[in-house]
Amino acid sequence: MTPRQIKTLRSLLFLHLPMLLIVFFAIAPYLWMLLTSLKDESTLFTADRTFLPDPITLQNYVRLFAKTGFISNLGHSFIVAGGAVLLGLSVSITAAYSFSRYRFAGRRPLMLMFLLINMFPVVLLIIPLFIIMKHLNLLDSHLGLILAHSTFAIPFATWMMISYFDVVPKSLDEAAQVDGCSPIAAMIKVVLPVTLPGIIATGIYIFITSWNEYLYASVLAGQAVRVLTVAIQTLIGEYEIAWGLLTAAGVIGALPVTLLFMFVQRRLIAGMTQGAVKG
Amino acid sequence: MSFVSLRNVYKSYGAVDVIHGVNLEIEAGEFIVFVGPSGCGKSTLMRMVAGLEEITKGEIHIGGRVVNDLPPRDRDIAMVFQDYALYPNKTVFQNMAFGLQLRKTPAEEMRRRVAEAAETLQITHLLERLPKALSGGQRQRVAMGRAIVREPKVFLFDEPLSNLDALLRNQVRAEIKKLHKRTKGTIIYVTHDQVEAMTLADRIVVLRAGHIIQVGTPDEIYHHPLHRFVAEFTGSPPMNLIDAKVEAVEDGVAVVAEGVAPVRLPPHLAIDAQPYIGREVMFGIRPENLHLADCNTAPRWPTLSLRVDLVEPMGAENLIHFTFGKGDLIGRFGTSVRPTEGTNLNVAFDPAHFHLFDKKSEQSIGTVLPTPQTHDAARTACADPAA
Repeated sequence: MTPRQIKTLRSLLFLHLPMLLIVFFAIAPYLWMLLTSLKDESTLFTADRTFLPDPITLQNYVRLFAKTGFISNLGHSFIVAGGAVLLGLSVSITAAYSFSRYRFAGRRPLMLMFLLINMFPVVLLIIPLFIIMKHLNLLDSHLGLILAHSTFAIPFATWMMISYFDVVPKSLDEAAQVDGCSPIAAMIKVVLPVTLPGIIATGIYIFITSWNEYLYASVLAGQAVRVLTVAIQTLIGEYEIAWGLLTAAGVIGALPVTLLFMFVQRRLIAGMTQGAVKG
Repeated sequence: MSFVSLRNVYKSYGAVDVIHGVNLEIEAGEFIVFVGPSGCGKSTLMRMVAGLEEITKGEIHIGGRVVNDLPPRDRDIAMVFQDYALYPNKTVFQNMAFGLQLRKTPAEEMRRRVAEAAETLQITHLLERLPKALSGGQRQRVAMGRAIVREPKVFLFDEPLSNLDALLRNQVRAEIKKLHKRTKGTIIYVTHDQVEAMTLADRIVVLRAGHIIQVGTPDEIYHHPLHRFVAEFTGSPPMNLIDAKVEAVEDGVAVVAEGVAPVRLPPHLAIDAQPYIGREVMFGIRPENLHLADCNTAPRWPTLSLRVDLVEPMGAENLIHFTFGKGDLIGRFGTSVRPTEGTNLNVAFDPAHFHLFDKKSEQSIGTVLPTPQTHDAARTACADPAA
């Protein structure tokens, strides 16, 4: 074989093939779920079941939206995730700006504290949070869940924003202040526009994490405020699993975050190539 | 117009003092350069004038007002930063207009001022570009334009040429000088480069470890350094400094370096050196004040035969390194002076430019000479008032 052929064969064998396998391994469950959702439920366990849906039916989706309260579940998820984004970003941006730009007593310990909280498993806080929410009458409310999600959103977002702010030279803030801005105006008018890709990426990460979150959503809410993840769980019954509805709900539920990831990916790359100051 | 005054200014970071009691008066329209090695406090001092650093103690006045508690935006200053600090997602026009926009300047006025400044700095064709599409020199000019349009009381430059290559540095330096002549603004300029200081300044402030060592015109700093540090800081190559002892000789006072014949001091310096007889001092002479001893040499000029170690041809002149006792000496000579290495050369020392420094305090010993006249080597025989 010619050297070029050997090279092609080698890259096929050791690069492309393993990659395809890994991608398939990652995507297979989703694909399977999608295929199942497009099949008639009655055909799922028959002897002559097929791999691909035959015929393709949207019955599961129709039933999902018509018969269950899925729309409202989606709505609750959106409200909670959106609220977590708003609260998380507003608090973390201002905190991160202070950590990045100023030196004050207790700065290092506070930053370390945020880092440590990041490492907490969420399940550690579930009982304390439940007790607090009960006392504050925030159980089963949007606000309660938003606050609960903020407990992991804010530390993470703060750390991410600190690194985004650190990249922007302090001389930019100073130039803005000399030009006529107050320190806060300098932050809003000059620094935030430069770090916008980072803010968007952080916001999307908070949204995705909150959207996918199950534990807090099921313990601290569940009746009046039933989000997507909890609703899907109810489709897994004691004796029977509503496969058709379940897979359809899974596909719909995964859709927003998939689309957001695609959007972030493009934005992130564009943001990274945009030069700041002399770099 | 404006008048900047620093009175007893101190700066500390916690327990660490970085600026110790600085006093300085800057006249309106003056070009003041703060110069000194890294860490001497020159940037910190300027940033205190700007309002970007807190003033621990003391007062700073701009235009007759105490500005200690005023934020930068209320001090009527403009600043050009070392890394340009242009707003990356604004065009050149928007960068320059930003300050005016914040002060609610009418659009017509804004456009006029930006156009004028752009014209002056020859960046009119760049007005619609983003900073990332500009070269370093262009960015620096935009940064200067941003300062000019504000028409401030004081311009502050923080090592603006440090990030430019050598050729650009010369060009932008000339532009800054022209800018000063045109706007007649008060400029405070920070640099560690003594060439920039010498060429740009009306007055130079030499700083070291948070203290002002000397303030003076470039001429004064160069020819009358009050401290060894100032003497060594200016001049390229720097002043020759030799350890020597002051001794009385038959018709006056001389400095004796180990292994070298005594060098007689001129009368005015001899008087000031009297208290130092028998003590160690440092003898200083700049390379350009060493001359070839020939028939034109004034009789009173000390002449020594020195061994040539190295000849460096610089194109317009030759730098010659000599052995001088235990140490060495560098002299600047014309291109016709080209001795062979290892041979001896008769070198005449110009006594009008002798410097003596106390070995311990490093302060200058000696009265302030009248401003020396410039003269070239061929006519030394005629001009020599001090000897």
